[in-house]
Amino acid sequence: MTTHTSTRRLTAQPLDVAAVADYRRTFARRARRSDLLVMALWASGAAAAALFLASGGASQFTSLTETITSIGIIAGLIGTDFILVMLVLAARIPLIDAAIGHDRAIAVHRSLGKPALYLLLGHGALLLVGYGMATGINPIAEIGPMLALPDMPLAFIGLGLLIAVVISSLVAVRRRFSYEGWHLIHLLSYVAVAFALPHQLSVGGVLSDGTAQRIYWIALYVIALGAIVTFRMIEPIVSSLRHGLRVSAVTAIAPGVTTIQFSGRALRQLGTSGGQFFIWRFWTGRTWWHSHPLSLSAMPTDRSARITVRALGEGSAQLGTLPVGTRVSIEGPYGLFSAAARTSPKLAIIAAGIGVTPVRALLEHASFAPGDATILLRASTPEETYHWDEIRAIAAAKGAACYEMIGHRPASTASWMSAADVDRGVTLATAFPDLADSDVFLCGPTPWLDLVEADVRTAGIRPHQIHSERFDW
Amino acid sequence: MRTRAILGSILASASVLIIGYQAGVSVTTGDGTSLTLPVGSTTSESVGTTADSRAISGPTDGTYTGSSISTRFGNVQVAVTITSGSISEVTALQLTDADGRSVQISNRAAPILRSEVLASQSAQVSNVSGATYTTRAYLGSLQSALDQAGA
Repeated sequence: MTTHTSTRRLTAQPLDVAAVADYRRTFARRARRSDLLVMALWASGAAAAALFLASGGASQFTSLTETITSIGIIAGLIGTDFILVMLVLAARIPLIDAAIGHDRAIAVHRSLGKPALYLLLGHGALLLVGYGMATGINPIAEIGPMLALPDMPLAFIGLGLLIAVVISSLVAVRRRFSYEGWHLIHLLSYVAVAFALPHQLSVGGVLSDGTAQRIYWIALYVIALGAIVTFRMIEPIVSSLRHGLRVSAVTAIAPGVTTIQFSGRALRQLGTSGGQFFIWRFWTGRTWWHSHPLSLSAMPTDRSARITVRALGEGSAQLGTLPVGTRVSIEGPYGLFSAAARTSPKLAIIAAGIGVTPVRALLEHASFAPGDATILLRASTPEETYHWDEIRAIAAAKGAACYEMIGHRPASTASWMSAADVDRGVTLATAFPDLADSDVFLCGPTPWLDLVEADVRTAGIRPHQIHSERFDW
Repeated sequence: MRTRAILGSILASASVLIIGYQAGVSVTTGDGTSLTLPVGSTTSESVGTTADSRAISGPTDGTYTGSSISTRFGNVQVAVTITSGSISEVTALQLTDADGRSVQISNRAAPILRSEVLASQSAQVSNVSGATYTTRAYLGSLQSALDQAGA
């Protein structure tokens, strides 16, 4: 491990009390918003059930038949609420992104998928049983009369589509698809929602005309779909047109690694915080259907921006040959891998491989006192030291300690460090003496990152101090 | 932070549920009309009573429209036709129709109720299972029509 630093320090620096209080306040505000979002999620589920109770009260549970039917309806309402919450979480609403970050929003989105599907399957099954019992026929035979209800055939198709969407998103199944293939199936969830809506309004008595329930649910749909349309369609189109990004240079900096420079207008007004990412689309005949979530590898100037891409998949491999002048559309900036996530004046940054890109921008943008930031750059071979020269220069200029660690991981033990450094006795604590008081920013390939995260947690660092960016979608 | 989120969620959800439940209680006690009406005495008894009442005065021939009874699945109103002192026809003017499911239920229940009423010659017929609200409102409206007829 080699060191490049202008202010190499031997002891931990004392903390600046005012700065600490500032970061604490910012973090407390963000934590409050995040907690409010969690509460809103659960309260919306409860509201679905409460509005059902409000429409008929306990009288809907007087017989077994009615109880089964009522539970079935509640399952459908809560399931639908979850689906709408999932839409809101996937809508990349700036407020939600700033509070919990895109990663966590998508993690919650994913975790709601299966419960929502189970609730909706339960909804169908319980109502077949309940309606069947009311008419005195078995649940299978009830399918006929149920399909005879207006809007019900659509609802059945909607449920079928939803099953397809959730199955295609199971980890094991998802690996078989390309991102685009999976995304195409995922778009069916909008069709599923659209197909399910009419039966909610026409079949169930809960949402019948003129009720407060109907107004509430229609408002939920408007909010969820409105958020998707606004933040995933209109806003990106407006932003892309306004900033008029075009590819201005494509440079190979290492085998399979390319920097792409862009020219554009008023790029500072994108409001990018160093470390955030955009979703890029390059409008050539071969590349337009791939979208690429990529971090800026430098802070944009008013007229130029830069990303650094490593050919990881079929789509990103084609980016190395993009012609100059290609139009580029963007969605973003997104993510909390930035100053917005900080909870302390001190920074501990560890990045591996192409994971240096957001770290490069983060370091450039971050404010810290000389000596308050430590960076550890990690690569398996000397060929993978992308932008290390730039990071060295920024670290030197801003007074950050910069360690470099090159070499393969040890074969025998699970460590994120190089075998040579493990043997020398290097640990997190020796590299980062202020770790306990620092925000830890980690970026690199998932298996490696998992090891670093485990190590950082073992060192007693609390989850809100750890900020990770993984390369997977 | 996690604790606050969990406690807040529980508190918010619980209050929302309690408010919903309370609102539901007031809804159900509010439209008592359809719930307090008599239902389901046995057919043989009712035939007896109608026969008795006919012996004393008997209903006047004609067609009588019952009052409209509201349920949370829609209003129900029936008309009854009396010919030669007995119920010859019951026509449903309006049936529970607030939503598709209610329409389906009332379409199934109405013919059953009609034939049972014609058989028993009274509003004292048993509940059609799975169509409790429709049955109660149907018989309630029918009873008010029969009252007008002087049955």
